[in-house]
Amino acid sequence: MEAILGIIIAALLSQNFILVKFYGICPFMGVSKKIDTALGMGMAVTFVMALASAACWVVNEFLLVPLNLGYMQTVAFILVIASIVQVVEMFLKKAVPALYKALGVFLPLITTNCAVLGVVLVNVQEGYNFLISVINGAAGGLGFTLAIVLFASIRARVDKANPPECFQGFPIALITAGLLALAFMGFSGLSIF
Amino acid sequence: MANQTSRKKESTVKYVLRLTFTLLLITSVVAAALAAVNAVTEPIIKQLNEQKTQQAIETVLPGGYSETIENFDDQNGLVTKVYKGANGYAMEVRPAGFDGEIVMMVGVDFEGKVLGISVVSHTETAGLGAVAAAKTEAGNAFRGQFTGKSGEILVNKDGGDIDAITGATITSRAVCVGVSAAVACAVSLG
Amino acid sequence: MNFKKQFKEGLLTKNPVTVQLLGMCSTLAITTSLFNGLGMGAAVTIILICSNVLISALRKVIPSQIRIAAYITIIAGFVTVVDLFLQAFIPDLAESLGVFIPLIVVNCIVLGRAEAFASKNGVLASAVDGLCQGIGYTVALTIVCVIRELLGSGTFGGGLLNGGEGIRLIPAEYPAMQMVMPVGGFLVLGFVIAGSQWLMQHLEKKNKKKEAAK
Repeated sequence: MEAILGIIIAALLSQNFILVKFYGICPFMGVSKKIDTALGMGMAVTFVMALASAACWVVNEFLLVPLNLGYMQTVAFILVIASIVQVVEMFLKKAVPALYKALGVFLPLITTNCAVLGVVLVNVQEGYNFLISVINGAAGGLGFTLAIVLFASIRARVDKANPPECFQGFPIALITAGLLALAFMGFSGLSIF
Repeated sequence: MANQTSRKKESTVKYVLRLTFTLLLITSVVAAALAAVNAVTEPIIKQLNEQKTQQAIETVLPGGYSETIENFDDQNGLVTKVYKGANGYAMEVRPAGFDGEIVMMVGVDFEGKVLGISVVSHTETAGLGAVAAAKTEAGNAFRGQFTGKSGEILVNKDGGDIDAITGATITSRAVCVGVSAAVACAVSLG
Repeated sequence: MNFKKQFKEGLLTKNPVTVQLLGMCSTLAITTSLFNGLGMGAAVTIILICSNVLISALRKVIPSQIRIAAYITIIAGFVTVVDLFLQAFIPDLAESLGVFIPLIVVNCIVLGRAEAFASKNGVLASAVDGLCQGIGYTVALTIVCVIRELLGSGTFGGGLLNGGEGIRLIPAEYPAMQMVMPVGGFLVLGFVIAGSQWLMQHLEKKNKKKEAAK
């Protein structure tokens, strides 16, 4: 139980996927202009990350390890992730059109979100079991959501400010993210339980 | 464009089959190529890892080892391998560092004193935690502090006498935890 | 073939990092020493060239509906090859870059160039594009690395020069170690991009003045 709590806290705060480990920076920068789209992206990523952690754990444990195909990990995992994203997209479109309307546009982007492939690779590297892998995936996704929503809310204000010409747009956003990362550094002591 | 015109001519079933076949073909070619590369690199990687472990044992346990011990008592669950030699034990420990686990080799003599430590692999931050593993002056100085220590070893922030690496207290603490576990395990083995 | 133009685009006007803003994860994560930056740059450049060439050669065979899946498979193949070779022949670099080597698969630069360039152009042009974009990526990465290493560890060429310790330029007690932490990555990259934007604006103004003078 303590171990699970430790992993959740690490994934959410002290080892936050974006602000500490730098997974998933592209969507973090790209989809953080509005709070509600940021939230939508976050929820979609969380969903896919948990699902991908589960599927890749199964693929790794019952296919790659018994057949001694460890070197196919990267290829197998990215294909699994791409298929999951595709299936989720089709399923949502048919079954829950309302949710599809909210999340649909973000789904194709998730395949190339390195947070998803990153969490799967870390799960295997650390030798997590099925439950812990799924929890790590979901908590990592929530950490992503937390960071991207916080960042979007700050960015809404920063965009109204008037920085020097060459700092406009991306540079000032990065510097804002840096300050947010500085705040998250304060959590680093939490990693030891 | 070519695809769209051909789609009109083909039936849907045929088209889907063609897609599946193309993707399958690409995947199998990639898999075959990887298998070939892996056949070349696997023995080299294995040998490198073994060499690393051997080197680590030689650094921390003068005189090397003669047997591996399978049955050992470890309360912390950090010790993964124990090698016994004429001068003491070399223990592989895996404490959790700042970012992932640190694999270390710790040499302990029969009285429970540390003979030396060496980091086999880690994923700590370059320039900070990574100093613990670096073959540099600062790295050697940090690891050298452990030689001759016994019992529970702590960084000076926690009341011990190990000077933590600047900016990497968590990594330094992890190393202390690993070394302490190795010492405790060695003491229980006698 | 316009090698000079492609080179200028890769290096400055369409630099993958500072202008296209691709591949941010690795740019921020591993830029803590010169060794890391050059190693990562070289790895990405090689993968870019290989995948660009192969995808360009196969561009007429791959049906467009499944192209992304096909590209990703091809890229993942090359990435794994590079990963295995690094582990076997340059283990220090493999250890230092860690999980960010397999993560090159989802580095948007590689997929982005495959989709935007290789799928529409010939083999040779695609190879050149891979090389130029790769060099642009490496240069941007190296600049960020040098700044972060200098400010954060006070050294130059860590992991590479002076037996791995790097050449010490600032005494050990002064550097701001936050610069090699995540914070520094965001801040330095922000300033580097601002610098390149300033440079481009400056060049543009100069060009306009020239034209006006004519």
